[in-house]
Amino acid sequence: MVKMSEEAGDTDSPNSNDSEDEVIKEEVKMHYHVYITLFALIFYTSWVFAGILFFYYVLQFFLPNVLETHNFLSLFTEFKSLLSLLAMPFVLIGCYLLHLFFLALATRILWKITEKISPSKEGIIPRNIRSKAANYYHIRSFMIKYGKNSFAKGVFPWLSKWYYNFIGASKMGRGTTIEESIVNDKFLEIGDNCYIGVDSAFGTHVVEGIFGNISYFKIKVGNNVTAATSNLFGPGSEIHDDSYLLPWASGVKHTLTQGNNFYWGLPLRRIFKRKIMQYLDISPNDLEKNENIEGYRDKKLLKKLKTEERINNKSDNDKGQLIAELTDNQIDIHKLTDEDLAIDFTTSSAISRINIKFLALYLPIFFLSGFMVAIFWYWYLLDENWVAILSFLPLALFGSIYFFILACLLFSKLFLILINLLHKPREGVFKAEIGDNDFEFWKMRTELRKLSLWFLRNSPFPWTDVIAFKLFGVDMDTSSHLADTWCDGEFIKFGRKNLVGQAAVIMSSMIVGKYLLIRSVILDDYVMIGTHTTIVPGTIIGKETMVGGACTTTVNQVLEPGWIYTGIPATKFKPNKYALSHREILMKRDVDKERKFEIEHEVNIDEDKRELIKAKKINQEKKESEEI
Amino acid sequence: MSVPNTMRLGPFTPTVLVKKRYLIFYFFLIWASIIPLLLEFWVYWRLLWNDTRPIHFYTFLPLLAILMYVTIVFAAIFFAKILLVIVNVIHHPREGVFLRTPEDKDYRYWSLRNTIKRWPIWLAHRFPFPGTLDNICFKVFGVKTKISNSLFEGWVDTEFIEFGKDVVCGQGAIIQSAVIIGNLLIIRKTIIEDDVRIGSHSIVMPGTKIGQKCILAANSVTTVGQVLEREWIYAGIPANKFKKNYFFEDGLEDKIGGVEDVESLREKYEEIYIKRYDEMKYKERKEIKKEKKEEEKKRLEVEYDDFDDDFNI
Repeated sequence: MVKMSEEAGDTDSPNSNDSEDEVIKEEVKMHYHVYITLFALIFYTSWVFAGILFFYYVLQFFLPNVLETHNFLSLFTEFKSLLSLLAMPFVLIGCYLLHLFFLALATRILWKITEKISPSKEGIIPRNIRSKAANYYHIRSFMIKYGKNSFAKGVFPWLSKWYYNFIGASKMGRGTTIEESIVNDKFLEIGDNCYIGVDSAFGTHVVEGIFGNISYFKIKVGNNVTAATSNLFGPGSEIHDDSYLLPWASGVKHTLTQGNNFYWGLPLRRIFKRKIMQYLDISPNDLEKNENIEGYRDKKLLKKLKTEERINNKSDNDKGQLIAELTDNQIDIHKLTDEDLAIDFTTSSAISRINIKFLALYLPIFFLSGFMVAIFWYWYLLDENWVAILSFLPLALFGSIYFFILACLLFSKLFLILINLLHKPREGVFKAEIGDNDFEFWKMRTELRKLSLWFLRNSPFPWTDVIAFKLFGVDMDTSSHLADTWCDGEFIKFGRKNLVGQAAVIMSSMIVGKYLLIRSVILDDYVMIGTHTTIVPGTIIGKETMVGGACTTTVNQVLEPGWIYTGIPATKFKPNKYALSHREILMKRDVDKERKFEIEHEVNIDEDKRELIKAKKINQEKKESEEI
Repeated sequence: MSVPNTMRLGPFTPTVLVKKRYLIFYFFLIWASIIPLLLEFWVYWRLLWNDTRPIHFYTFLPLLAILMYVTIVFAAIFFAKILLVIVNVIHHPREGVFLRTPEDKDYRYWSLRNTIKRWPIWLAHRFPFPGTLDNICFKVFGVKTKISNSLFEGWVDTEFIEFGKDVVCGQGAIIQSAVIIGNLLIIRKTIIEDDVRIGSHSIVMPGTKIGQKCILAANSVTTVGQVLEREWIYAGIPANKFKKNYFFEDGLEDKIGGVEDVESLREKYEEIYIKRYDEMKYKERKEIKKEKKEEEKKRLEVEYDDFDDDFNI
């Protein structure tokens, strides 16, 4: 399965080395001071020019012409005020675009500088040995994040393709559409006229174990490739021209597809005409059109075909109308077997009902935290020293975002304490219906947490959400990282240095039919969870265990320490020995010919550190010979 | 429950932009929805701004911010709806299989509709209070749904979908009515009835009909035009019947348990999820087939011999 995870870490001292272990078990050291300086540079340049333009317009035109006008009607009758009013939205859009442009420019310059110092190249980067290659890999991953989030989640998501091309992180061809997704940012080569669907992740980097490697390889995507939705690919994959991926068609790292075909499944495989027609519910005629698309690029021809189609369709209009009839036979619950009632499938912990009455909680929190920010801005604009105001504007913006969030956290926590006093949260099985106390309070708790978590996750430093989780009752420390996941806010225990993959789901509550199940989840030290994996209530994961991508665990499952688990449901795959694994031999997998082959590749590490890897290998060989 | 920071989620409008000139509509919508906002701010300014005592102005500013946000959302919805009605009169949206080329009229208009809908939906989803504004957007743009449905944790398409009441859409689930595969754009109406639970990371493809009280388990995919029968649990790629759904009965609080025997569960799942043929080599498969054939032959021969003996007697 695909394993994809983002970097995490802090500046703690290395783990105490056991004398038994030959492997260097050194934790990754993050250079937070470098990250923050780079971020500050990008953030400042991106906002300062937009801010100056905005304030100039407001003070010069909007304030005197619009706000100082006393009569509502004269806003429209006087030429000057009308023009200032109508031009204001354009100024706002312009400021926003200016912000995006300078954001991209600053990132581009910094990106080019880091590329000069240590160019990004393909290869396996050892994670347990400190090296320049690993450091600059981390710095670049961090740098691209702020821009990526503001482009992809912003008002003009069409520009995100331009952003990646402009800073030189990846190449994307003409006519290619990229929907929102978790990775898809760097080291990609996508051809023309592709469609990369929502939640599709072409991850060019994979973290294999806390003390393992980072695989960092280019992903090459040909022309006219479509990935429908949720297509995950590991690094080094090559998807050739005209590969059509159906939903969930995913491959491990180094997957090759020959193209000119439809692919389906987990892991993906080629499917043929009969299956395509069955899965997509289309006629042979449509398939023929798909193959000879060049012949149909003609407006008149298409118009003619469509009118013919419409006439044909009128005859068989009623197909697929009803869903099995209602049968009201009473079921005796005492006769149900254990197997009937076993929760051996996974659903979700999304709130089952939205209630507008929660606004009563939201509004006071919002008002109180907003008031703090308002006071801040009053103080900031008090002096009217415009040079100082404008030059420190990005700082003030950043400050006010975090003022607001901290106030939000504080007031949410206050309300949470009050609610927990009224009704203590507890584990168990409850009815998910209005009237059940546990269910109602569970909903209220989740909604309450949501506000500040939402703000934190949307702030420039999303990984600060650890503060919120800690405050709201999740047992974790700052060494773990889960900014890109859905994670419940209670009954979860994290160990040290846990790495949770992008778009993974960790839930301590689950809605099954009419019932709500709440059980605690425990993750031990150095646990890794892959991308798009669902961890359900009651899961316990042992030390140094890895769960692969696109897996689910089952309720009350215990994963043993030191193993790699994959599949739906997660079962043992092989012992977790990634720190010991070969770093220069790659296994490629050709999907169409159903074969695997090996390739040698250089390890991506500084020249002076190569001995560390070799020395270890010699040690291993010595050990093996002794055993023999 | 917390949403990943790199994703926008919520109601889904594809970013496919067939012609760049569609952005004019987008800019117009942004412009038109900001104007009422400015007028509102003008009123507030005239009422409360005082150079010497600005306390009132700053105190009520947060409340104004919320009010302004709701205003801009509704203004955007209003103008987008007008544009959408006009566009739909020019070209009526319809189901079918279309081609992914700019020459195809249905493909062009599908893209245009999404471009128009994007701004109000984006705004509605950026509001931190979950769900309510999203559901209003759904309703205005022609999706049949209830305000209490929780559809904001995944991606749900904004046309050709019908929801019943109490539908739960799990984290990262994708409910589609249009999908691009190859050079084809497939648009089909998706119907989801009452009390359906859709698991996290599962995908509902266009044209799927899901009956009442169905559960679609996590990480599963339905095929185009598939019908899921009521009161069943479905799982797998493509979704198959897993077992009957009894979890809507009353009084099961004490009986619901977990599973501890994962290995036997694995076998159960193996039948449903596609078997991994690539783990078994081609030759091995052929040998297994041969053995089976030989066994069958032997059995047939034995039966034939027995028959002969009987005949002799």
